[in-house]
Amino acid sequence: MSTQTIDINTIENVRRFENFGKDRMNGLCMEMTHAVYPHDEIYGNFCTLQAHVECPAEDIFEYLATPYTLAEWTYSMRDFGEPDANGVVESTDKIGGETKIYTKVVANRDALTVDYHCAWDQPDHLWMIYLMRVVPAPLVLDRPGSVVLWTNCKHPFYDRNPHPEKAPADRKVWVGDLWPFFYAGHQVELDNLKAILEYRHRHGLTFNPRPEGVAA
Amino acid sequence: MIPVSLAGTASYLPATVRDNAFFQRDGDVATAHGPMFRGSRLRHHVAEDETAVDMIVKATRSLADKLGLDLTRDVDLILTNVSCPDIPFTGSGALVSRELGCQPMFILDLHNTGCISFVFMMSVARSLMTTMGAKTALLCNVQTSAGRVFAHPDNRFLPQAAVPGDGCGVGYLVASDESPVRAIATRSYGEFSADMQVKSDDGGAWWAPRTTPLHIDFTESRVATIVSRGNALVPKIIREACAAAELDVEDIDVLVTNQPNPVFLRNWRESLLLPPEAHVHTFEEHGNLFGAAIPISLERAADTGKLTPGANVVIGGFSHAGDYAGAAVVTWRPN
Repeated sequence: MSTQTIDINTIENVRRFENFGKDRMNGLCMEMTHAVYPHDEIYGNFCTLQAHVECPAEDIFEYLATPYTLAEWTYSMRDFGEPDANGVVESTDKIGGETKIYTKVVANRDALTVDYHCAWDQPDHLWMIYLMRVVPAPLVLDRPGSVVLWTNCKHPFYDRNPHPEKAPADRKVWVGDLWPFFYAGHQVELDNLKAILEYRHRHGLTFNPRPEGVAA
Repeated sequence: MIPVSLAGTASYLPATVRDNAFFQRDGDVATAHGPMFRGSRLRHHVAEDETAVDMIVKATRSLADKLGLDLTRDVDLILTNVSCPDIPFTGSGALVSRELGCQPMFILDLHNTGCISFVFMMSVARSLMTTMGAKTALLCNVQTSAGRVFAHPDNRFLPQAAVPGDGCGVGYLVASDESPVRAIATRSYGEFSADMQVKSDDGGAWWAPRTTPLHIDFTESRVATIVSRGNALVPKIIREACAAAELDVEDIDVLVTNQPNPVFLRNWRESLLLPPEAHVHTFEEHGNLFGAAIPISLERAADTGKLTPGANVVIGGFSHAGDYAGAAVVTWRPN
């Protein structure tokens, strides 16, 4: 790695106070600020949602870090089994009929991040990655509760099923066909998550529920 | 191109009107409130023995009354688009000409560009006027698939069956500058042409003898993509036509589009930042009129006093699953 100093202002597409004056910056901001934005421009390659939830951040973290809670707040993931040796849990994604979906939770308690590494049909390459972060709302909104941030990135496999041979026979849909509906579908699920977490918080229920037959 | 004007439009709607109950099985409450019924209350269905030619003839007689036309003399071009063609070989245009006693230079029966074929016909007519000396053109859009296809006992309970409605709209173009067509923009998207199909449960080709009816099918796995494509295509082509006409989008006075469902109507209007009253449609009473929506909604705009002198009228839409988009800008009787 070279330690040579560079002039940041000479790098293409870098606009800073030093190389891009306030008047030009204001003009650019005016130009970039539209009244409406095409759906694809906002949700074409990345899909980020956020919500305020009346529930402490640590409780939300605990709930999200338990894969079995996906059976509660997602629209269609059901019938979770035990984790395998790699910590991957099999369940069924009902939007794909009999489709199996594999999930590994990658969580960081200090950062309050919970990432779900998932894939349809096979557990070996978990490329559908749901990135979630919980932020204590007192910090960012000066109010109780938490902010939940949720991002998906459009992996090329959304456009091209890498393992069509592993799909159940006669399945007509591919998860990536639904990418244009990801904002809407994930908003519904985030609303579910908020409603369930707030209910559990109000009623003093556990944030680490387990389905019957799955060891705690 | 020589100056060409849209002189007016007129319509004919079949007598049979179906309410939402027609598409519900007895006691089926769920479908009555389902998304397919959202925004639609009524739609017309063509009668068994009624043809697209009958409908065009009635609408054109109404147009002739409004504009004071002598149809034996004042029709140089006849262009038609019929959604479910009932004269497959000869085509409707020649029979329309016979019934009305017209003596056109050209007849063109279009098979493509479906729901926005009115704009395509405007474009073709303007070209023929410029190059062949035609002075007038009768543009005819007929939607017949509601009664022909979706009223069938095996189809009427499909979720899609309540959406289409039949009707005929006709328009009259003249080589003049009375209501000038300031710009037309069109684009073909061949890559999107395979996402809508005509299907039948017996799997046979449409011309083959059969025991099950045909219906229209959108590739299940492509529905989300088609919705997002439709949301984007129409505002894009409208902006392109407005730019060519040097018209700021916010100065659109009347917007007329095809009317596939209320969500597309809302999204297109929102995308162009237009108030609801500027977007004229008849979805609630007529359902999805396919190509006929454009001339019928233009007539609605005229009848409700929205076509004031100098009004900037913009027409736009897309066909099928997005294989074609078109838009036109017309200034209504500026002088």
